[in-house]
Amino acid sequence: MTPISALLIFVALILFILGQLFLKHAMEDDLRSARFRKNFAIGLSAMTVSFFITLGLLQHFDLSYLYPFQGLSVVIISLLAAAILREKLTLRLFFGAALISAGVVLVSLS
Amino acid sequence: MMQRAKELLLNPWFQLVLSVLFVTTSEVFLKRGAMKAPRLPEEVNWTGVSALASPDVWYGILFVIASFISWLYVLRFIPLTIAFPLSNFVHVLVPLSSWFFLNEHISVQRWCGIALVLLGVLIVAKPVARMEEKL
Repeated sequence: MTPISALLIFVALILFILGQLFLKHAMEDDLRSARFRKNFAIGLSAMTVSFFITLGLLQHFDLSYLYPFQGLSVVIISLLAAAILREKLTLRLFFGAALISAGVVLVSLS
Repeated sequence: MMQRAKELLLNPWFQLVLSVLFVTTSEVFLKRGAMKAPRLPEEVNWTGVSALASPDVWYGILFVIASFISWLYVLRFIPLTIAFPLSNFVHVLVPLSSWFFLNEHISVQRWCGIALVLLGVLIVAKPVARMEEKL
């Protein structure tokens, strides 16, 4: 893995996380409001850019190696959803999310 | 019959399952298409845009769109702290599909990772399943 591809994997991850949070926030809103349109547009743009970067990375790495990097996003998204979107995060949910992230990282390192 | 089909389609948990299946299908198509794509010089190739020449990539994109629509429906009804961990069942299905359809090798360590993901998904899903039973 070169520094450039590491950076691209990182950027794709950040954009993916931001996209999920903005989309979740948008979908809870009134679907006809201007605020929905703004949050939805931001979320969709972030996901789209993340998607094309991932597509490029797929030409250089195996799918089963590359895709799991997004697994790190499980714990990050759970924490941010609790902190920013005020969702309930029980210890059990966090433990489950942590196991998933650990499993996905293990998959991506092998 | 139509009524039951409609109820099923409007069920956010069913849409979550659909979304996971669509993502897995899209990943396999995208990888197949990307492998067939012409390789441009490294400096201009990082977006993977040349892969759009392959029909497999377009099938992949269709499944991405389908999974996205299901996912948006899920987001409207299920908290992200529950829906997102559950959606990671794709990390079980994608390596299994890569192995089955794309002949990629799965090491012992990777099998262990897949098992951990599965365990995490079950831990998140169990209280939810109990909650649904009561309804």
